[in-house]
Amino acid sequence: MLLAAILTVPLAAAGLSFAARKRPAMEAANLGAFAALFVLAVALVARVLRTGSISAWNGFLRSDSLSALVVLLTAFVGLICSVYAVGYFRDDERNRVFEEDILGEVTISKLRKYYTLTPLFVFSMLLVALADNLGVMWVALEATTLTSVFLVTFYGRATSLEAAWKYAIIGGVGLSMALLGTILTYYSAHNVLETETLAGLNWSVLVTHAAQFDKTTMKLAFILILLGYGTKAGIAPMHTWKPDAYSEAPVPAAAILSSATLNCALYGLVRFYILASRCLEPDYPGRLLLLFGVLSMGISVPFVLIQSNFRRLLAYHTIDHAGIMVTALGVGGPLGALGLTLHMTFHTVAKSLLFLCAGTVYQHFRTDLFRKIKSGVIRLLPFAGAVFFMATLAIVGTPPFSLFQSEFVILQAAFAGGHYLSAVLFVVFGVGIFAGAVMHVGGLVLGPAEAGTIARWYPWRDSAVLVSTAILVLMGFWLPGPVFHLIQNAGRIVAGGP
Amino acid sequence: MIWQDPQFGNRLITMMAALVLVLQIMMVAQRWLVTNFRAFGLQSFLLASIAATIAHFNHAPQIYFVAALTLVFKAILLPLVLERLVTKIEIRQEIEPFVNIPISVIVSGLLTLLAYVVAESFHRPEEAIGPASLGHNTLAVAIALFLIGFFMMINRRKALTQVLGLLCLENGIFLAAISLTYGVPLLIELGITFDLLVAVMVLGILVYRIRETFDSMDVSKLSRLRG
Repeated sequence: MLLAAILTVPLAAAGLSFAARKRPAMEAANLGAFAALFVLAVALVARVLRTGSISAWNGFLRSDSLSALVVLLTAFVGLICSVYAVGYFRDDERNRVFEEDILGEVTISKLRKYYTLTPLFVFSMLLVALADNLGVMWVALEATTLTSVFLVTFYGRATSLEAAWKYAIIGGVGLSMALLGTILTYYSAHNVLETETLAGLNWSVLVTHAAQFDKTTMKLAFILILLGYGTKAGIAPMHTWKPDAYSEAPVPAAAILSSATLNCALYGLVRFYILASRCLEPDYPGRLLLLFGVLSMGISVPFVLIQSNFRRLLAYHTIDHAGIMVTALGVGGPLGALGLTLHMTFHTVAKSLLFLCAGTVYQHFRTDLFRKIKSGVIRLLPFAGAVFFMATLAIVGTPPFSLFQSEFVILQAAFAGGHYLSAVLFVVFGVGIFAGAVMHVGGLVLGPAEAGTIARWYPWRDSAVLVSTAILVLMGFWLPGPVFHLIQNAGRIVAGGP
Repeated sequence: MIWQDPQFGNRLITMMAALVLVLQIMMVAQRWLVTNFRAFGLQSFLLASIAATIAHFNHAPQIYFVAALTLVFKAILLPLVLERLVTKIEIRQEIEPFVNIPISVIVSGLLTLLAYVVAESFHRPEEAIGPASLGHNTLAVAIALFLIGFFMMINRRKALTQVLGLLCLENGIFLAAISLTYGVPLLIELGITFDLLVAVMVLGILVYRIRETFDSMDVSKLSRLRG
């Protein structure tokens, strides 16, 4: 019941927004649905903590701690962004941004597009986390791309078409590799399970027999999955769509893309990692993951250092963090897995917050280029500017913020596991990212400002940012017991436990 | 009876798979978009026939559904949709691909060779007896379709031919699924087909808008976002 309800709520919101004729109705449908979704997600976490994994519809839907964590994070980002979106689009409408569309789409149909597609987008992400069947998971991941392509083209500029084209084509190629990988996994299990039904691709069935799977096939399957879902997660060298899509999509959608969708893609990768490490040795997937993880961190460094646009800066940051999480998975073991789930949680909160702050700055100055704003954002936008700088410090792993803890855990696991080269490169690239981000954002936020009016409190946008900030700061010192428990259990599942 | 003889079925499938490969290489050598889409339709039709043949010889009725699904969506509907798009945007011919056509054909040949080498590692002679082994030899063709589809996407400049490359890639995966495991479970197949259809619609709309905006469909002109 609970699992079905979680999936129904966003679908209902999409239907209502599609049918609505006025903006307030769409906003209400989205706000209500995402609030309900968050409550349901919390209920799911409580249930999963109490009873272990739960399933519904004959095992079609299933949730263990790992899926519950992904659902909780997705619901959280969805809720924060839906509140932010209300203020964001009203501001756009006031400033007549929608009239710049080269194809002349009118405001209300644009809003309908956003408020319909976003719940659908969230629905497909939830289905990724809740589907037990790896085939269904693939279908849902592909659906996340298809529902978000038109969010990227939202503003209808020439550049947004370019970004959407790259996003759709690179994503499409990546996901077809993942599909081939899924089919090969099915094949490697085929002779063991001897079933032609849906159960032959159910993860919970596969995982119990993984040790007997055909090893050659599984090796090839894992490579394809890594390339495929890695493309979706935006790890190097398949990351090129990311900065474009993130900087062209409307800010709340970019925030969802950069945090929740990244989690979903990694979640898919983790499910196959568990199968592969049971079938082969954890070493085989581990080495591949380390290679791609460290590469992603390395590639993002020069782009962060020379970046001239702060939304693209954040996108390269996300590539870096995708690399960190993939490295954590590659390091493996109980500690590496815990580092991964911790980092996933902290990154989701911090990165969505950063995008929202960047959005407020963007809307105030009508540009996302460093050289046009120069400096002194904090004087004109005291609240958003301060939070932007603080969240930047958090995301580059400055103590006391929580990302320092998770990165420290990952580093500790890497040293303990004997991955010295990866650990050293991790630190080196981390320093590069730190320097680039703090230099750019620090220069943007601090310093003297040009003359201008000081912004007042934006009720919708600033409240969303405030809540998210409070959570980010709080997490640095204290994680609520149940949440930490959930993260720990999820980590155990990643490490191959029950 | 010849219709019950698995040897005959095997030959039939091999022949159709060979035709599928020939069509694929033809698409690489072909500049006219409409011809390309028709070749794609024919290729999908052959894939549906392969699926139906396997269903017949293995007495596996659920594969008939897969065959019908492929026939309706990939062999008929998708080519029609794409052809309509071509008439709408009035671009009928691919300009120079990055690598010229004779070399492209040679590259496709090399990729086919590579596919055979890869498929060799999946070859299990102990299973190659009786009707259960039907279609296993088409795996090499499937991998070749996958690789050539990939090459087409890199090599062509037109947005629509990139879509075509993606579809060929998908056909390769379909053939791999059919030849390895006699298709994935039906529900998944439905989901995949649905996703594919939506993907083509989404890409079609994008192609149309790119054409309206840039007055061209040349994706190498999409190069404003850098760094």
